[in-house]
Amino acid sequence: MTGLMHRSEVAVSVELQTPDMTLNIGPQHPSTHGVLRLVAKVDGERIEEVEPVIGYMHRGYEKLAEVRTYAQITALVNRIDWVAGFASEVPFIVAVERLTGIEAPPRAQWIRLILTEMARIASHLVFMSSYPLELGATTPLMWALRERERVLDLIESVTGGRFHPNFNRVGGVKPAAGGGSKTKKISMDLPAGFFAQTKTAMEKVLHVCDELDELVTGNEFIKARTVGIGVIPPDKAIEYGLSGPNLRASGVDFDLRKVEPILPYDEVDFDVVVTTSGDCYDRYVCRLEEIRQSARIVLQAIDKIPSGPLQAKVPRVLKVPEGQVYVRHENPKGEFGYYIVSEGGRMPYRLKIRSTSFSNLSILPWLLEGQLVPDLVAIMGSLDFVLGDVDR
Amino acid sequence: MSFWATLGLQVVAVLAVMLGLALVTIYAELKISAHMQSRIGPYYAGGRWGWAQPLADGLKFLQKEDLVPRLADSTVYRLAPYVVIVAALAVWVVIPFGPSLVVRDLDLGAFYVLAVSSLSTLGVLMAGWASANKYSLIGGLRAAAQLIAYELPLLLAVLAVVVQAGTMSLSEIVAVQAEPWFVVAGVPISAPFIVKGQIIGFTIFMIAAIAELSRIPFDMPIAESELTMGYLTEYSGIRFTMFFLGEYASMVAMSAIAATLYLGGYALPGVPAATLNVVGPFVLLGKVALLVFLMIWFRWTWPRLREDQLQAMAWRWLIPLGLLNIVLAGIFKVVL
Amino acid sequence: MASRLGAVRWVAEFGTPRIYVDRDRWVETLRRARDEEGLRFFSWLSAIDWAKESAVGEGVADPDSLEERFEVVCRLSSVESADAMHFLAVVPKDDPVIDSIVPLFAGAAWHEREAHEMFGIDFRGHPYLAKLYLPDGFEGHPLRKDFPLLSREVKPWPGTVDVEDKPSLENVEAGGER
Repeated sequence: MTGLMHRSEVAVSVELQTPDMTLNIGPQHPSTHGVLRLVAKVDGERIEEVEPVIGYMHRGYEKLAEVRTYAQITALVNRIDWVAGFASEVPFIVAVERLTGIEAPPRAQWIRLILTEMARIASHLVFMSSYPLELGATTPLMWALRERERVLDLIESVTGGRFHPNFNRVGGVKPAAGGGSKTKKISMDLPAGFFAQTKTAMEKVLHVCDELDELVTGNEFIKARTVGIGVIPPDKAIEYGLSGPNLRASGVDFDLRKVEPILPYDEVDFDVVVTTSGDCYDRYVCRLEEIRQSARIVLQAIDKIPSGPLQAKVPRVLKVPEGQVYVRHENPKGEFGYYIVSEGGRMPYRLKIRSTSFSNLSILPWLLEGQLVPDLVAIMGSLDFVLGDVDR
Repeated sequence: MSFWATLGLQVVAVLAVMLGLALVTIYAELKISAHMQSRIGPYYAGGRWGWAQPLADGLKFLQKEDLVPRLADSTVYRLAPYVVIVAALAVWVVIPFGPSLVVRDLDLGAFYVLAVSSLSTLGVLMAGWASANKYSLIGGLRAAAQLIAYELPLLLAVLAVVVQAGTMSLSEIVAVQAEPWFVVAGVPISAPFIVKGQIIGFTIFMIAAIAELSRIPFDMPIAESELTMGYLTEYSGIRFTMFFLGEYASMVAMSAIAATLYLGGYALPGVPAATLNVVGPFVLLGKVALLVFLMIWFRWTWPRLREDQLQAMAWRWLIPLGLLNIVLAGIFKVVL
Repeated sequence: MASRLGAVRWVAEFGTPRIYVDRDRWVETLRRARDEEGLRFFSWLSAIDWAKESAVGEGVADPDSLEERFEVVCRLSSVESADAMHFLAVVPKDDPVIDSIVPLFAGAAWHEREAHEMFGIDFRGHPYLAKLYLPDGFEGHPLRKDFPLLSREVKPWPGTVDVEDKPSLENVEAGGER
């Protein structure tokens, strides 16, 4: 090839060669959401190759789970995706319930549903605040976080924890926040005024969605930065195991709440939000719309929730029969599941955690090739990952 | 008064005015952004009006350790913030606050203003280069690229004003705007250049000025989500404060230039010429405040563009429009 | 269907078939599952260490009849319905090698790297089988059953005692209705 080239052409191409620079983005960097490190080879501002380096927050939960009883593991699993801690507790507990054959009473299941959707709203509101911030807009941050605080307050009023509820029990939910052995005779339930406050909070959430529509969704600058950027075609999304809004933004109509509900989702009315172009803008729009759908679900659920006990009968020392089960659920970020291998003891023999952000992030090297450094931030942010969920 | 005494007095006056205005602008930014974002610090700090918030911010900056990275080019690194702040300062020399309230009325005022205001980019480039940090370097280079892209539209916009006014002295440009345009029922009506056909020029000037100030939506040289803090990454303490002050001083200076060139400077239709030496400064500051508010408003509403989008905007839209604007100004001048 | 995919044996538990395949037919089986059964969605891949003795936690229920081995587990599912299958391949401990499925599912790259560092299983044909979570120079494979949990060695876990001897708060509540 070189032999065919005219000599002056060779000289020109040599002259224009610029040395690549290795840019180390992270582990401490404002837009890596924690401690992700990207080793990017850049030519000017164009990325030629990027290698994500993860594991700075690896806590070895799969190993730790092998030395803990099932009840103790719930305290671990809500720390995986801490932005939506409640949502990652549910599939684990349901998996243990499947293995033991215990079923949670209906009221407990509805409470799980309400709190899962609230966790989804909280998680998506964090995205609504951090994503425009990564593009340089600071105001949506405060607006979205203001409403998220309301939702977190509600979760706290029920569970006692804003981020780490540790509220699910095998066979139900913890009777009430602040309860204990001394007060076990008093029947305990959701805190007083919970439904009224939830209604107000959901209305506020819907309102802030409209505000964000005005400030962000229609903004020409946001569109200039996100439309057509970081396009993930549906077959690539499936091949890399992307799930949740990242998959649905590529036009794949797949939501585990419809396909394989582990909570009474079939009794509420909601739409699966699917957008088609698979770019950053569509991932944003998809999440914004999902907040509205979740608020819709919560508003229906507080009307439909049956009364009854919160806890099924569970043996004092929980021994789980032998078996292997995988239970997945639609976490705010996508498919979140636990594969439990039980050998009949009090502790799992092996617990495999299928965390969403891990798979969602694995597309990054493919997606970032040939993009610009500013687009790197836009694309990375649009995948909405949590480092605890990547590293486990 | 001796030459040195006058000069000293003028320097002190410019320093006081500039730093005072920069502080007021910082306070305004805090308050306005707090209103837009429901933040509480700038509302309540200090008990009332949030007066303690800028003070607390300033004190915090001052007590931070002044770090110089080991690999940094120490001299250039230390010098850079002062280049930025001097550039912002020097602009005020030619800004007229009233018919006789001007430090030096240079014949080439408009030219001087453009030359000096772009010096701050040199300081940014120095900071980016000397920090021995890749983010800083990219930030500095972005600032340089931005300067090249935006100096031209800025120049073309100012050129149209110069064509229309027929002078490059800022005092005279203001005087031309204060002259009666036409007479209605015996009352002479004067109008600033923004009314007299320079609306395109004003828009170009403001866009280019925001780009030159590296404020959102054109703050790519800082871009904290991409480049951590761009050329400011390694700076701390008093030197960071210098950059910070410099940014706000430049903002006020740019607004003052825009007010002088397009909004009639210290003159206001209806205010008698005799009182302008007293009222003039306040009129000018009012106009400056308006433009500064505009910039603050933009900053807290919009995200940032990408560097290549900014370049495309400059070369595809603003420069052709600027050229067209000069032609229009010529036609306007001949016809009217 | 399981035999069509080349299963050695299969078990259906909780609605999901668990299909055991020969490790030589691993890639072939997964390809057919993807192309013929429509299980296009790569969910996850990991491994299980079946060991007679474990340094941590509770061991297997029946150590005497256990055959020491690794099992590589891969879950594929559909994006049209709730269909899913778990594929398992036995990998002997003295020769922990299996073919990589990265050519089939690009998303498996990180999962295989994780299984590689955690269990010491080699994935033949993987483009870049480096450590993922663990720092360079880390010795051992943490998720193997013979890998001790160091913090547990230093200090016994109080939680174990809590469940066995004292009535814990939670169990009292759970049994409150009795």
